[in-house]
Amino acid sequence: MTVAIDIRGVTKIYNPESNQAFKALDNVSLSIGDNEFFTLLGPSGCGKTTLLRLIAGFEQVSGGEIMLFDDEIVNLEPNQRPVNTVFQHYALFPHMTVAQNVSFGLERLRKPRQEIDATVERVLTLVKMKKLGDRRPGQLSGGQQQRVALARALAPNPKVLLLDEPLSALDLKLRQAMRGELKQLQKETGITFVFVTHDQEEALAMSDRIAVMSDGEVQQIGRPTDIYEHPVNRFVADFIGDTNFLDGEIVSLNDDLVTCRIGAQSMYEAENSGGHEVGDHVTLFLRPEKITLSPENQASGVHTRPGKVANIVYLGNQAAYTVDMGDGIELTAQARPREDGNLPFAIGEPLAVGFSARALRVLAK
Amino acid sequence: MGLAPSYFVIGIFMLVPMIIMGVFSFLEPNPYGGVKPVGSLAAYVKLFFEYDLEDNLVFNPGYLNIILRSFQLSFGATLLCLIFGFPVAYYITLQPEHRRNFYIYLITIPFWTNLLIRTFAWIIILGRGGVIEAPLLAAGIIEDSLRMMYTDGAIAIGLTYSYLPLMVLPIYASLEKLDLRLLEAASDLYANRFEIMTKVVIPLCKPGIIAGCILVFIPCLGAFIAPNLLGGGKKLMLGSLVQFQFASARNWPFGAALSMLLLSAVVVTLIFYARAAKRREVMEGSA
Repeated sequence: MTVAIDIRGVTKIYNPESNQAFKALDNVSLSIGDNEFFTLLGPSGCGKTTLLRLIAGFEQVSGGEIMLFDDEIVNLEPNQRPVNTVFQHYALFPHMTVAQNVSFGLERLRKPRQEIDATVERVLTLVKMKKLGDRRPGQLSGGQQQRVALARALAPNPKVLLLDEPLSALDLKLRQAMRGELKQLQKETGITFVFVTHDQEEALAMSDRIAVMSDGEVQQIGRPTDIYEHPVNRFVADFIGDTNFLDGEIVSLNDDLVTCRIGAQSMYEAENSGGHEVGDHVTLFLRPEKITLSPENQASGVHTRPGKVANIVYLGNQAAYTVDMGDGIELTAQARPREDGNLPFAIGEPLAVGFSARALRVLAK
Repeated sequence: MGLAPSYFVIGIFMLVPMIIMGVFSFLEPNPYGGVKPVGSLAAYVKLFFEYDLEDNLVFNPGYLNIILRSFQLSFGATLLCLIFGFPVAYYITLQPEHRRNFYIYLITIPFWTNLLIRTFAWIIILGRGGVIEAPLLAAGIIEDSLRMMYTDGAIAIGLTYSYLPLMVLPIYASLEKLDLRLLEAASDLYANRFEIMTKVVIPLCKPGIIAGCILVFIPCLGAFIAPNLLGGGKKLMLGSLVQFQFASARNWPFGAALSMLLLSAVVVTLIFYARAAKRREVMEGSA
């Protein structure tokens, strides 16, 4: 894998001299591959946008190096870096037409007029905005402005495209449609995308790899499935998707499984992720969709436990059930409505709750 | 009906004086001041012609020259105001928000003192052996006075100083609305500092620049304090000429005619501005 961007021990401190000093990034290192759709994911204030702005050059690093295809770029001005940005609120030039916005970068690079015109037409076609080249940004809808912002950033054919929460200002339907288009665009152009978002669904849907960030540090880097199925800590497990957390103590273990005591005397078996010892206090996590709910009398296999429906949240295509497992333990599980549209279980109904030991995973405490 | 009070105020304070001036310009002067109620075009004729010794009407470029000089000096002062005022407004815009209001407050402080007093201060600065000359003379860098006073340059400096805040404030008002993210977007798209200025900042604050230029240019045309004090009254400008006709020459109709000329110049300028603004609005589409 060719490395497009190599971030080496980057630290960013705002107002370092004052008493309001704020460490936005703390010794962050990560590598982004060429032609990769890489997502920086985290809650607001985690440092993801700061990292993007450091790559673009709008902020100066307090320490560390940023390499772009083996060139050190931290000392370059933004206009000297062959990367382009799609801004959160688009930042289109209001006094220029769509076509003038898109050609802005190419004109600054002193490209010949013919090449500029051809490129503008090509990228506007790419984002399906060719017919609106003469409009001004004020005459466009949010979704259209979004496309122009993309076209403008793609036109100079940057080595890396930086996207700062570009979908956050769009409404839900449009946002979902743009996900597919962005991914498609990345494949077609072959340009490395660095995408910043706080929306985990967006990240899972589009990314080749995700870096989950929190408090200025990278928590985990991996493919979407790695992040979702094998989160390294409680923060990642909690931030991505819905999760049941169970706190317990390891009472015995073998190579495959650990047995934990949860609550006063309930014993749960879980996959041994390694590095644990008897007596460790650990957090177990269990995704709701890994739990099967069935009527009490249809309990199947050794992995079921008795439970009772405590609460139901109806979501249309499914319902989230809160199940009382006794011993102070509650689990959230999912069930689909039956074909006649009614929910399969009612509040207070006893259930057989099934999940395999492989679905229950141990997080370091 | 609800607007009646404002019509009344505009009528009393703006229209009536203007109509009086208009009427006066078509009357004959009373040698002891005021006017005689006799209709006459003499005041307008005097703008361009004079009677020679044999009582023939001949073209006299004297007043036209003064008018031309007034426009030149006002234009120069407006340009200087723009050159000095724009960076000031831009600098204030880039300050943290809580500090900006303080700087704007500082800009308005000169208005607290009478313009006459402040213009006298420039005599001390520019004058023979004044603030600028004294140290240079003492250091032996110059041997004689620089003779800065009573020149067109001195008038231009005085006008620039007088009306600089009127340039800074409207430019600041339009720069303040400027989305600073556009500057980042421009530099991201390979624009250097100069291009960010010429391609993004200046086009976007053009309304403020135009408003500032009009606010400076128009009072410059009518100014008489700076031309009288710093130009020594020898270098006449339109404003001081008008003042002279009313106060000393006792030719009110001629002063009124000059005022009417000034007024039409201002109206023509404003019509041009309004046209340009309308064109821009149509072009950008009212979003």
